[in-house]
Amino acid sequence: MELFNENSKLASVILKDYSLLPVINRLGIQLGFGDKTIRNICGENGIDLNFFVETINVFHYEAYFPEKRLLDFPVKIVIDYLVKTHQYYVNYLMPENDRLIELFLSANPEESTENELVRKFYAKFKEEFVIHINFEESVMFPYILELNRVIENLDSSMQFRQKYPDYSISGFEKEHSHLDDKMDDLKNIIIKYLPPNYDQNRGNAFLSNLFLFEKDLKNHSRIEDHILIPKVKQLEMVLQSHE
Amino acid sequence: MNNSPNKSIVLISQSDVILTGLTEILKGSIAGEIIQLHRGDEIIDFPELTGNFLVIANPEELEKSTSLIRQILPVTGSVQFLALVFDSNAATSISLNDSSALICYKVNEILNSFASNQAKDADTELTRREIEVLQLLTKGYSNKEIADHLFVSTHTVISHRKNISEKTGIKSASGLTMYAILKKIIDVSDINPEELI
Repeated sequence: MELFNENSKLASVILKDYSLLPVINRLGIQLGFGDKTIRNICGENGIDLNFFVETINVFHYEAYFPEKRLLDFPVKIVIDYLVKTHQYYVNYLMPENDRLIELFLSANPEESTENELVRKFYAKFKEEFVIHINFEESVMFPYILELNRVIENLDSSMQFRQKYPDYSISGFEKEHSHLDDKMDDLKNIIIKYLPPNYDQNRGNAFLSNLFLFEKDLKNHSRIEDHILIPKVKQLEMVLQSHE
Repeated sequence: MNNSPNKSIVLISQSDVILTGLTEILKGSIAGEIIQLHRGDEIIDFPELTGNFLVIANPEELEKSTSLIRQILPVTGSVQFLALVFDSNAATSISLNDSSALICYKVNEILNSFASNQAKDADTELTRREIEVLQLLTKGYSNKEIADHLFVSTHTVISHRKNISEKTGIKSASGLTMYAILKKIIDVSDINPEELI
């Protein structure tokens, strides 16, 4: 598997791996970039070149994880990327899932028990997803950004310690697993256990979108578990050493 | 039900070039996982593995880690070893100079032998006891309540639940309820549709 670098032409990168399209979007790039290299495009758009290159490589090649280099990035850049990823899920992938599953179920003209069950289960899956996003955006990310401000001497560490007496990210370490389990269950139910009288093409379309979502979510979790959390632990140790 | 038991390939090499190359060649040949290790003893990081294993490594590494790997890997399946050598024509090893088709062929020979040994384990049908556990589970019973009801220990219930999830591929309680309805193990009217799922 080849890795991309700053001298790669972005168009060739995308032609090689189209699953990177949403990734470059959320890094701030839109289509129509001609034959420019990644270096030039990042320069023109004020994007951190190293973060761009490492992120697309992490996404492109599962076994690639340059943890040491990734730990050099400011937490703000990482969180900004993660929040944009959430927006992509909420504004595009989830509504697309909604549309495709409805198309799939409604092609079965008789309103059946199966349809009702799949709808209910799907609703549970979405619930789990919303809980995950809300937790990160309203609890975990704010904590990290506040911690970072204290380290940068922008906020007082006194106030921070009052607000978070234990200040430890391990207390927050979240469960991706419920979401992952429900995603797996949904796939297995449709692939293995639904009666075969459904429209196959529409089923495939829904499943393809779900797999896309799964791949993206996996990378999202990898970036959180391998970059963000270790990074935050570093910051916590810095704060502790100031005590 | 024709799910064959899990098969995994464990590749051991210090060299990323070899690990990546062999993974590329073999990934289409196997439904199970391909695990890449730099050293044999790293297998300890994979305690949840089950099924059959084919371990591929150079002869020195195989010699060093054979007994270790046999100890660590669960006894649910069989373990086979294949030596990776620099140059040889032996059928019992693969050579770095072998064509990718030949490597796939040799590996598949071994993987196929697993299937015939293990055909009796391929059954994913739930046992009667597992069905009972599943029925109680879908009614919202806790592990403890299921244990009391069936006069077994909570530990036994947990192990039944684990087997149910392994056989069906479904982990969440709501997913299992759906499975039970689709498979007609329970009737929709048996459960409260609002709480069910």
